[in-house]
Amino acid sequence: MSVTDALVLQNVTKRYGSHTAVNRLSLRAPAGEILGFLGPNGAGKTTTIRIIMSILYPDEGEVRILGQPRATDVKDRIGYLPEERGLYRKMTVDGTLRYFGRLKGLSGKDLNTRIGAALERVGLAEWRRKKVEALSKGMQQKLQFVGAVLHQPELVILDEPFTGLDPLNTETLLELMAELRARGATVIFSTHQMETAQRLCDRLVLINRGRKLIEGSPTEIRSQFAMRMLTIEGEGDFRELAKAPGVVGAHVSAGQARLELSEGFDPNEILRRALESGRIARFEVHRPDLHEIFVKLVEADGARPPPAPVARAERPEAAHA
Amino acid sequence: MRKIVTVAVREFVETIKTKTFIISTVFMPMLIVLIMLMTERIAEVAENEPQPMRTVAVIDETGRLEPFLHSEFGTYNSEHPMRRMEIELIPPDAAAADHLRERVHRGEIYAYVRVPAEASRGEAACELGAQDSQIETQRRIQRLVESAIVSLRFASADPPIERSRVEQLQADVPFRVVDVRTGRDATGNELVRFMTPFAFMFLLFMGTLNISQGLLTGLIEEKSSRVIEVLLSAVSPTQLMAGKILGMVSIGALLMVIWAGTGYYAAQSRGMGYLVQVYQLQYLALYFVPGFLLMSAILAAIGSACNTIKDAQSLAFPVTLITIVPMMLWWQIAMNPNSTFSIVLSYIPPITPFIMILRICADPKTPLLEIIATLVLLWASVGAAIWVAGRVFRVGVLMYGKAPTPAEMLRWVRYR
Repeated sequence: MSVTDALVLQNVTKRYGSHTAVNRLSLRAPAGEILGFLGPNGAGKTTTIRIIMSILYPDEGEVRILGQPRATDVKDRIGYLPEERGLYRKMTVDGTLRYFGRLKGLSGKDLNTRIGAALERVGLAEWRRKKVEALSKGMQQKLQFVGAVLHQPELVILDEPFTGLDPLNTETLLELMAELRARGATVIFSTHQMETAQRLCDRLVLINRGRKLIEGSPTEIRSQFAMRMLTIEGEGDFRELAKAPGVVGAHVSAGQARLELSEGFDPNEILRRALESGRIARFEVHRPDLHEIFVKLVEADGARPPPAPVARAERPEAAHA
Repeated sequence: MRKIVTVAVREFVETIKTKTFIISTVFMPMLIVLIMLMTERIAEVAENEPQPMRTVAVIDETGRLEPFLHSEFGTYNSEHPMRRMEIELIPPDAAAADHLRERVHRGEIYAYVRVPAEASRGEAACELGAQDSQIETQRRIQRLVESAIVSLRFASADPPIERSRVEQLQADVPFRVVDVRTGRDATGNELVRFMTPFAFMFLLFMGTLNISQGLLTGLIEEKSSRVIEVLLSAVSPTQLMAGKILGMVSIGALLMVIWAGTGYYAAQSRGMGYLVQVYQLQYLALYFVPGFLLMSAILAAIGSACNTIKDAQSLAFPVTLITIVPMMLWWQIAMNPNSTFSIVLSYIPPITPFIMILRICADPKTPLLEIIATLVLLWASVGAAIWVAGRVFRVGVLMYGKAPTPAEMLRWVRYR
């Protein structure tokens, strides 16, 4: 383990009865980088994050967070945005941030200026004295993000931070995360939106059914997959193309087909067939993007994870003994 | 510790800002006092409301009661001009009673009384039938007829005895009840004085009810809005629970200060200072702190395990039920503060504060040893309850779904 790793998981396993939610998962988040934690719904992302946060304890394996075995020991150095989000509806924006800030060890004038600056940054300055219930969902989410990073933590853990955000707010959040990195913080966030992950992450981890499928920088991952992809756009029915010889994988929608070609196969064969099916506006042979790699990996792994267990059936895990 | 205080301060500030708190703190006690005064007034008004003349038919089988009845009813009517009653004497015959029952039933007369011949010697019961079941009026008729019969007995004694002379000899012997601490008269306020222990206990009860509601709703809100996970990333469950309990006890203290202070001031300003005494307030303070702590700890455990206020209330119901016990038995305890019964109840922790406050207010001479023993027991159970609640809390607070059974909650205590 390197001293420059903000977070290291080693062979972490978490079982709920017969269901294994996280299976011998190892990963690391180098300090000062943004780590994207990817996977389909039910892959075990939230369980892993809860283990990292010491809200749940692993059955096996080890966690080291900011050099400590438990997040509880370094609470004030971590910012956390849980997947299930909530705020006190009756409290003011200012009161909420003040409370969260105090719980993280801030106080006095410093807290005051930080709240002002942070609200200014996310465009909520004029909402400072308003009650939380008056805010839109997107604004509430920004408020929560502000609450999680107000104390300038070294490590920020965000569980599905983009869910429910409109494109504009998504952009703001991406910028904020980049700012955190620029300041030297380590950011870990989970998502199933590959595109946002691809744009921002220094490092990616893909998990499915509680196991790691791949880990590395976007470039590393893409270079490992030499498959050739073919994108066709135009008017016509391209469904037939999926069955064409030389096509090993296909995603066809109205006006578009994304095909994976077998090695050494001539794309012109496909173009000829495509011209019979309709009017072609675009024809491009390219390397796969992360989305395609991940879809392929997850599908190969067995796309549908087993249904998540009901919370009550879980063995209640003692946090913070 | 700083985080505990931060949590406690938020609980305190956010609670006292709510409408519920203001209503329950200020308006509830006012409403209770108002209702108490109103019922008294209403009873008074109802008592003086004019009523039409009511006819009471009397079958006098002794044949000698008439002058005495007229005299008794005459006196009564002159004293109660608004609710007069007249007598209708019915000659005794076999069917007279049946006939009168019929008339009462039809509403022609208010009531009938049959006085058998042996009644004057106390050897047979008189018979009374009335239209409605107004106990007061029936008793009044009974007393008037009784008095007439007693007068008849005096008159027919051999030799005759003068009733007024006997009554003179049996006249009430007046007493002055003196407060041993002040040496002044304590008469005239016996009932009010007797109500003081109850008032103190009721204060404690209202406070407990108030904070338990606050604690439960607060926790359920945090769980259902999922704020709890954010909080747990900053504080440990134990700190969170401690902060909440501390906040609630502070609110309880505020309530006590407001209510007891108002009561004390009211009693002082109306010259009834003996009703609320400083020593009572001191004991109130001494018992309410561990009492509230114990209750808060139990309810924090319950609240942490539930997800809907309905679940929480049904799980908290047995606890609430226990606190009602002193409310039901208060008369017994205040009458006999040092009976074995009262002493045994004093050692059942959740109700110890209520019982002890009742006993101490009813009897200032409650043995000091008992006060110390109950306080030690109370604090010991506070310690135990907080420990157990802390363990249930850290598991329960992250549990979603159906409410657990008490057995499940006990299992959580044993988790690592």
